[in-house]
Amino acid sequence: MISSVGILITWLAFLNLLVILLINKKDLYQLLVRINLFLHFLLFCILEIALFLDDFSLNYIANYSASSTPPLYKFASLWGSLDGSILLWNLVLSFYFYLYIKIYKKNNELYDIKIFSLIIIFFNGFTIFSSSPFAGCIQLASVGCADFTLLPFQNLVESLSGRGPNPLLQNHPLMAIHPPMLYIGYVGLVLPFVIATSELINKNKNEEWIKIAEKSTYMPWVFLTAGISLGAAWSYEVLGWGGYWAWDPVENVSFIPWLLATAFLHSAKTQIKEFTLLNWNYALSCLMFLSVIFGTFITRSGVLISVHAFSNGNIGTYLIIGLTFFTLLFLIIGIKNIEYFQSSSKVTNFFGRTGFFVANNLLLAGSAIVVFIGTIYPLFYETIYSKQITIGRSFYDILVGPILLLLIYLMIFSTKITKNNLKITSWLEENYFEINLSIILSIIFTFFFRSSFKFAITVLGSILLVVIIGKNILNKAKKTKLQGSYWTGQIAHLGIGIFAIGLIMNVSQSYSSELIISSGDTIQFGNQEFNILNPNEVQKNEKNVINLPIQKNNTTKNASLNIFKNSTQQAISSPAVFRNVESDTYITIKVIDDNNFKLIFRKNYGIFIIWLGLAISSLSFISRLKR
Amino acid sequence: MKKLVPLILLSILIITSIFFFEDTDSRYEKLSKSILCPVCQGETLFDSPSEYADDMRIVLREQIDNGLSDKQIMDYWSSRFGDRINTNPQNENLILIIFPLFLGFIFFILFYRKIKE
Repeated sequence: MISSVGILITWLAFLNLLVILLINKKDLYQLLVRINLFLHFLLFCILEIALFLDDFSLNYIANYSASSTPPLYKFASLWGSLDGSILLWNLVLSFYFYLYIKIYKKNNELYDIKIFSLIIIFFNGFTIFSSSPFAGCIQLASVGCADFTLLPFQNLVESLSGRGPNPLLQNHPLMAIHPPMLYIGYVGLVLPFVIATSELINKNKNEEWIKIAEKSTYMPWVFLTAGISLGAAWSYEVLGWGGYWAWDPVENVSFIPWLLATAFLHSAKTQIKEFTLLNWNYALSCLMFLSVIFGTFITRSGVLISVHAFSNGNIGTYLIIGLTFFTLLFLIIGIKNIEYFQSSSKVTNFFGRTGFFVANNLLLAGSAIVVFIGTIYPLFYETIYSKQITIGRSFYDILVGPILLLLIYLMIFSTKITKNNLKITSWLEENYFEINLSIILSIIFTFFFRSSFKFAITVLGSILLVVIIGKNILNKAKKTKLQGSYWTGQIAHLGIGIFAIGLIMNVSQSYSSELIISSGDTIQFGNQEFNILNPNEVQKNEKNVINLPIQKNNTTKNASLNIFKNSTQQAISSPAVFRNVESDTYITIKVIDDNNFKLIFRKNYGIFIIWLGLAISSLSFISRLKR
Repeated sequence: MKKLVPLILLSILIITSIFFFEDTDSRYEKLSKSILCPVCQGETLFDSPSEYADDMRIVLREQIDNGLSDKQIMDYWSSRFGDRINTNPQNENLILIIFPLFLGFIFFILFYRKIKE
């Protein structure tokens, strides 16, 4: 029943989108775009209802939810696997369509409506022709569903219970927030793509397009930053390895659009203020969205191995067709506008705004290229040599590290960016006290954390950045209200400075040790004493949890092993984390052997400072809000 | 005199970083971070909580205690699980480093020529 309703509404939404694409009535599309949003919201609600009703006649629910799944994770199961996440993707896309005509649409042309509806048709079409979360189950597997149909009103079979979500996805509440946040950011990059292509198709060019494109990139940027940060937090809290970023392909493909969007937010300013870099801005505004489709292709087609990858037979081909089509659209419109691009002003002030922004863009685009190469090189290698290869952290350390270092030093000058060239000697004199203070702080830091030369230089840049921008914000906050894009930038840069300090503390000083203990033991780790109490076992519907209480001073925290009933996979270890401003003690159970536990104790420095910096950067949008 | 102060401080910073630098990663940590856990999804031996990785870590510790060189240890694991187990492939695939650097170099030349104009 729910399956048929869902499939019929998907078709209805598809037809509605076709009408938007094909009609030329300017007064009608407003209504149809609202209907489109309504239909997608309805689909979202229907799938949620089906998840809560445990309707196992749906292939998706039989395979990715179970009656024993707790409510929060039932709710989050909607985006727990490929088909459902496409539904969320379409809802977000439809929301942006509505937002676009409501806020950003400034002209009376219909090109933008056509391009936008084409993009949604493409993603909506996937749920019609390839696989849908509403597909009914026609053949049972031993657990869950083995075969499905995309047609309504079929004779469906219903399994008794579902297979349940992937254990990793039902172990922490952040799972309910991180993916939607990330999607709102990721999918939002469709806006600059639509704005740039539709405005440049237009013969009567609207010179405002770059301003609108820049404004529209900002909200996705904020959500992307917050979404990536929450993902890092999730990884730290759930995966039990004490880290937050692994250069995993899926992390990489969320990072590439972030780098490009950050570059675009800067370079758009040069066009708005000085009418330079027209072609570069056009390219960036499109590449952001193309990198999103590419990223989805890489991670959803099963070509790469990753914690996040859900593979599915034909989405790969489907996405590659879309990627080719939208890339051609971007290229053709670009070629048609060569004359327009040539009207761009020459760059003259290489130590002023444009110069700084060009350098910033080269570095950000450079790191995007490095991350891109690191992500796809294993694919090429496997195709050519038929052997697998893994690109790990050290590759990115070698290449992205120095780029980030240069970016930090560039950001120091962001307090004083004007059209005219910066006079370095007068800048040094003005900030004489701050420079000396920062070097002294860096010496203390380097001594305390025993940092290497490269970290000492990085930390000097980061402290300078925090000190100089901090002073700038404090000075001017008294006189003026901190509003406008200048202050957004300053606050975001301050956050990155703080983040970088935390990051260096973390990589230069963290240590760990592996200990075999039994309950009643007292462990000495990093000048602190930990008492191991008696373990207990908790039976829940969906899992058994073995808790090992660990006591430090008067606080007790549980390190636990979660054994999920629906999974043959290994148990998942949840860490006990004793938090502190400068360092965390992070304890995970590795193996239980009779009454002995093999524990890993980690001293992780700077984690709180990393979260603080990321939070400040994500919240930088506050200064943009109008009263 | 005024200009000397930051220069002196800067040299103190450099000297501190050279003389007090302490590498907290033991040889075991370095090696376990560069070997991939073959049954996990993109995690290294160091990071992985799986029992399989735990068994591999025990073997790795024995190898280190027996005084095998880094190369011997990496060769041992590669011969059993294939090259994909090595997470530092750039040492054998220099193109990975050279190609981005080459791109960067070209960008730099273009940028420099624009400044000269």
